[in-house]
Amino acid sequence: MTIQEQYKTRVRELLSSGTVKMVIGYKAGTTADRRRPLFIRTPEEADQLLLDSACIANLSGYLIAEGLLSDEKRVGIFLKPDGIRTINILAAEAQLNIEQIIVLGFDITGQEVTALQGETAGDFSALIESIKEGAPEALKNPLIDQLEQLNPKERFAYWQAEFSRCIKCYACRQACPMCYCRRCIVDCNQPQWVNTSSHTLGNFEWNIVRAFHLSGRCVGCGNCDRACPVNIPLRLINARMAQEVLGSFDHLAGMSDTQEPVLASFKKDDSETFIL
Amino acid sequence: MTRILLSDKLDNCVARWRKAGLTVIGPVKKETFSSYAVVEKAAEFDLGLVLPDRSIKGLFFPQTEPMLEYTIKKQAIDTKDFAPPSDKRIIFGARPCDASGLAIDDPLFGWDYKDEYWFQRRNETVIVSIACTRADDFCMCTSLKLAPDSTKGSDVLLRPLQNNKGWLVQELTDRGREAFSQIADLLQEGSEPAAPTVVVAEKFNLDACVAWLQNPANFDSSFWKEISMRCIGCASCTFLCPTCHCFDFQDEGDTYSGIRRKNWDSCSFALFTMHTSGHNPRATQSARWRQRIMHKFNYFPGKFSVNSCSGCGRCSRQCPVDMGITETLQAISTLKP
Repeated sequence: MTIQEQYKTRVRELLSSGTVKMVIGYKAGTTADRRRPLFIRTPEEADQLLLDSACIANLSGYLIAEGLLSDEKRVGIFLKPDGIRTINILAAEAQLNIEQIIVLGFDITGQEVTALQGETAGDFSALIESIKEGAPEALKNPLIDQLEQLNPKERFAYWQAEFSRCIKCYACRQACPMCYCRRCIVDCNQPQWVNTSSHTLGNFEWNIVRAFHLSGRCVGCGNCDRACPVNIPLRLINARMAQEVLGSFDHLAGMSDTQEPVLASFKKDDSETFIL
Repeated sequence: MTRILLSDKLDNCVARWRKAGLTVIGPVKKETFSSYAVVEKAAEFDLGLVLPDRSIKGLFFPQTEPMLEYTIKKQAIDTKDFAPPSDKRIIFGARPCDASGLAIDDPLFGWDYKDEYWFQRRNETVIVSIACTRADDFCMCTSLKLAPDSTKGSDVLLRPLQNNKGWLVQELTDRGREAFSQIADLLQEGSEPAAPTVVVAEKFNLDACVAWLQNPANFDSSFWKEISMRCIGCASCTFLCPTCHCFDFQDEGDTYSGIRRKNWDSCSFALFTMHTSGHNPRATQSARWRQRIMHKFNYFPGKFSVNSCSGCGRCSRQCPVDMGITETLQAISTLKP
């Protein structure tokens, strides 16, 4: 039986036994290479489920849709390791009760999809913690290295050109499971803290504010990068910040559901004499 | 006999138009992203694109535009209006869906207040469209009763020759004739056949959809919640759309001096309809998606007798969660009115 069929069976069982009220997965999209999010509420709907190497979107943002988990019923969701790390962070930041989430874990290597054994986020802890060891290597990106070689003025020019395409559609924010604020800083208009215009200054303000808010929280799932309709390489910014946080604080986001948020916690023996 | 523009004369045309003081614009692909951009040479054009990632809209209705500047002094308040800058332009290689989008928005920008920014740019811009010989899975102009060789909104329509060496010229407006009179000697008479335009299959029955949308009982249909469940509420669809035209005014600066700007806004955003009281009449994403569809295919045609969609398909093509107008209208066409 293929992994897809195994998981279809599992989803039907979870729903027919009443273990979960819904499973969030993937189905076919408009074109052969596209996948759509799928919300499965009956065992029959599981027929539409698709699981293959094109299922790369991190679906965990749907878990914190208003009201979904407020009835305390369980929800199943297809997650890769980056998605499991995401729900760990959401739990650590008190955005969801991780006991309510049944994880249908999988991983993709090249074209191959493998099933991950476990049911709740905690069951994957050994796998998740092992990611940290390889993180310095995994976060490497030749383009980041190239940008590091530039002087600040040249680097500024690079990002100015990239951000010049930004149209402030906020697809990056909306696609990001970490951007869950009920009212984003750019939507606060009394006073207007951040320029909403998509001119040079406004585009810098937005993208830099977002980069800082994601430092130590981004798992690098790539949702923002893929969602950007003008193809700004947002992933580079977040990966670079993740490198910085790993190097400075030995912190990789999403290792467990009790991990302290690195930029929102302090220790008495911190070397700094101030709190930002 | 028809007049023909040969591809190898295009660079001369660009030079001629530039010399005549026109800014020449056309589809340009830079690395991973394409848009209508200013060019100096014909070689910069990428005329093989199905259509650029960004629509033509921003050239007439920019994403952000200064309206006025104010300075408050002890005894006086100075204000300075930003007149729309004069810039005579020619857009070469527009897609008919993009050109149609402009024509669709003309009545909107002129019905109560004549938006001088929009109309000055419209009047100063010659649009030379090229009929499509290629389409992708998202193109849907025929479903909107338009066509890959629609002339709507264009000043000149070019039809690619079958031998791929140029285009048949069809001048449509005085503006187009004037621009092409400047290159008259670069054109030639000919009778080569045009390449067939691409066949774009009809994806939904528009009349059936409109009938369903016009039935007030369907405003509260559970359909809206189902179809928009995966919508993440970004404005990618509205901002890439050649006809979405909503905007917001923003004052930037402080009490003593600042600038008032007109920025794109989107019905996808919760803030779009948020009242100062905190109440939001469109409190859910499904209500916002319903508004977008209703506006395009019910309210807008009710007022201006034309659908606010030219079938370019960008909403679906670039949606992060593979939603869009096509899927929604396909689903609606299967429902009972």
